[in-house]
Amino acid sequence: MKKLVLVVIAAVLFAGFSANGQSKLVSSKSHIKFFSTTPAEDIEANNTTSVSTINPSTGEIVFSVPMQGFEFEKALMQKHFNGKDFLNTKEFPKAKLTGKITNIDKIDFSKDGTYDAHVEGELTIKGVTKPVHEMGKITVTGGKVDASSKFNITLADYGITFVKGKPSTNIAKTVEVTLQAEYAAQ
Amino acid sequence: MKRKKIIKIGIITAVAGIVIAGAIGLYMFNMPHRDVLSAKADFSLTSSQIVTEYLADASAANEKYLAADGDSKVLEITGTVNKISDDFDGKKVVLLKDGSDKAGVSATFTPETNANAEKLQVGQSITIKGVIRSGAAYDSDLELYENVILEKSDIVTK
Repeated sequence: MKKLVLVVIAAVLFAGFSANGQSKLVSSKSHIKFFSTTPAEDIEANNTTSVSTINPSTGEIVFSVPMQGFEFEKALMQKHFNGKDFLNTKEFPKAKLTGKITNIDKIDFSKDGTYDAHVEGELTIKGVTKPVHEMGKITVTGGKVDASSKFNITLADYGITFVKGKPSTNIAKTVEVTLQAEYAAQ
Repeated sequence: MKRKKIIKIGIITAVAGIVIAGAIGLYMFNMPHRDVLSAKADFSLTSSQIVTEYLADASAANEKYLAADGDSKVLEITGTVNKISDDFDGKKVVLLKDGSDKAGVSATFTPETNANAEKLQVGQSITIKGVIRSGAAYDSDLELYENVILEKSDIVTK
C-alpha cells in the first residue's frame, strides 16, 4: 500500500514536471570579450566569471557579468577600465543582460544542431539600461547546449564618453563584444 | 659667460626632465599587474562567513572588499570543496561551499597554480587565496544565488 502511494506521488510529480516543460539551463562556464580597435591601438579584455541562464520553454535568457572580472594585457588599462570615469565597477559591480529568445519555438533543445537565436531585451551597464536586439547562435550537441553571439556596444549609450586625452583617441566609440557560454540542466 | 652657463643648466634640466617623464610614462604604460599570489591576504574568513556578509548587506560588503581601480581585496577563504571544473581558458575553478549555505565562493586558478587545484577532491576542507571580483547575491532574473568570485587563486598551506 505504502509503495503504491509512493508510485502515485512519483507519477504525479513527474507529470507536473513534464507539464512545466524542460528545466532551466544554467551556465557558469562562459567567456566574454571586449574588443576595441582604433588606428592608435587594439585593446582587448576577457572575462570568464559570468553566470547565465536560458529557460528553454519561455526563451528567457539572462547574463550576469562581474565587471571586475575583465582582464587586460596592460595593468594600467585595467585600472582605468575599473575607475570612476570609465565603468565605475566599485559602484556598479555587475552588468546584466535580460532578454527573450523570440524564436524559441524554432530551437529544439533535444535535437543536435545549430540554431539562430533572435534575442530582444535590455542591457544594463554602469547603471544605464538600454534596449538591445541581437543575433546569436544556440548549438546543441549530445544534450550539451552552447550559446554564442557577437555584437557591438556604443559606449556613449551607457554614459561612457571621453572628450580629451589618450582614451579619446585610443578607445573606439563602439566596441565589439563576443560571448560564449556552455549550459547544463539545473 | 654667465648667461651661457644659465642656458647650459637650463638645457640639462630640461633634458633630464624629459628623460624622467619618459621613464615614468614608460613604466606606467608597462606597469605589471599586481602579484596577487605573493600579496598578503587582507582578510581571512570562511566561505560561509563571506556569503552571509554579502547576503546581509551587499553594498556594505562591496564598500569593504572592492577597490575603485579593480585591485580589490585579497582574501583567504576556508571551506569545503563542492565542485571542481574548468573555464574556457583551461583554468581550474574550485567552488567552496558548505552544504547548508545558499551560495559559495568560486575561485578561478591560474596557469601557474592549476596543478595545485587538480590534486583537490570534492569534500576536502581547504584554504584558498585570491582577489575578489564580485560578491554573493540572489539574482531574481537568474532565479539563482550567485557565488562570490575570486580570481588569481591558489591553495594556501598553513
